[in-house]
Amino acid sequence: MTSTLSHRLDAIARKFIPAAMGVFFVLISTVPFYIPGFGTVSPNFVLIAVFFWAIHRVELISSVTVFFIGLLLDILVGSPPGINAAVLVLVRTLSAMQSRVFRGKSFLVLWWGFSLVAFCVGFVTWGLNAIYTMTLMDPLPIIFQMIMTVTVFPFLAWGFAKMHQKLFQIA
Amino acid sequence: MNRRRGSSEVGIAAPIKVLIQRFAFLFFVFAAFGIMLLSKAETVVFDKISTVVVDIFSPLLGALSEPAATVSIAVNRVHELANLREENLLLKRENERLLVWKEAATRLAATNQSLQTLLNFKPEPDLRSITTRVIANSGGAFVRSVVVNAGESEGVRKGQAAVSGAGLAGRVALAGYQSARVLLITDINSRVPVLIGERRDRAILAGDNSVMPRLTFLPVNATVKLGDGVVTSGHGGVFPPGLQVGKIAEGPEGDIRVRPAVALERLEFIRLIDSITKTRTDFKVIDRAHPIRVPSK
Repeated sequence: MTSTLSHRLDAIARKFIPAAMGVFFVLISTVPFYIPGFGTVSPNFVLIAVFFWAIHRVELISSVTVFFIGLLLDILVGSPPGINAAVLVLVRTLSAMQSRVFRGKSFLVLWWGFSLVAFCVGFVTWGLNAIYTMTLMDPLPIIFQMIMTVTVFPFLAWGFAKMHQKLFQIA
Repeated sequence: MNRRRGSSEVGIAAPIKVLIQRFAFLFFVFAAFGIMLLSKAETVVFDKISTVVVDIFSPLLGALSEPAATVSIAVNRVHELANLREENLLLKRENERLLVWKEAATRLAATNQSLQTLLNFKPEPDLRSITTRVIANSGGAFVRSVVVNAGESEGVRKGQAAVSGAGLAGRVALAGYQSARVLLITDINSRVPVLIGERRDRAILAGDNSVMPRLTFLPVNATVKLGDGVVTSGHGGVFPPGLQVGKIAEGPEGDIRVRPAVALERLEFIRLIDSITKTRTDFKVIDRAHPIRVPSK
């Protein structure tokens, strides 16, 4: 009886951890750090989370989850609604399609793949913002943001990998 | 037979599943673009939705921002201790200078008062202020706004000027029930009518997401010098007149820009002020800035 309960709890945890983590990273992205210039270059933690889980367990993060996490990020950050939602859904699907390239390969391959994704995301976000506001904005902040994101990727990915191992008992 | 049925099921179900998944992906991409377009057209509805969402998350944001604020205060404390002697000396010297100014100011205030009585001048209405704490930064690369922990329940309204210590920081763009979004003067959507220098040339301070906003609609015959003070003009009635905004500085391309008086990247507390209050009895000061626990010593 209790074992089935704990089993079910485990299953629920597995199902909801990525989504809950997504919301958590959205919130973290908005925490004021009071470091001059950090506000504009805070790393995009959500992108890392979506990329990692799309590669390793895409079934856990459905398009719906990613869509709403992106929308929440847009609303809390105050950027035009829909931009992050569109970008994250695209990243999720494209990463999942290419997951075979990365799974089981060395970490450097994953990192390299992520940096490619990050710079594409930066470019697309910049383009969408430019279309939305009808102004060509300085691309420097987004370039810095993406460099920051790629820099913190190993730390977060390491944590995710540990969590992945724990949750799915991978030796 | 059983086996055959199983295989045919796989044969049909699998492509359908893939189709649905692919369709879901396309659906959400289009939905996102739809929201983008709609938010351009239906700004009121989207403002409402985003206000409600920020309101719901504001307690969480407030809780998450507290440790960061505490760390920041602790770091500042250490920094202050290190510079105690020098700062003390500087402050003493400044104090002497300011005492002379105070003398002058009292004299001028008295003269001003008597002249105003002579002219039957209508004085500026009293300003009401609400002190708030910043609970969320815009982490995005294309927005310059912050969320504060006070909303309509505390009297925050759209359009109120946001001031932090040295001067103008921005204005309230959206007011929820218990949170509000403040658009900073550096944001691309920010426009502030200002007066420049002693000649009080009129211009519009226009943000462009860079650290230093631009000046637009500057008269052709305006003589603007580096270091000239920039204050709000009060035109348009959004901002109270005379709030310090910043100083004229040279931009990265040698153009005329304004360096804000407020360190906008490290805003911790913001005072929101009404430009117009109806009656004097309306005057009250609300403090929503939580007293943050500072580690002793």
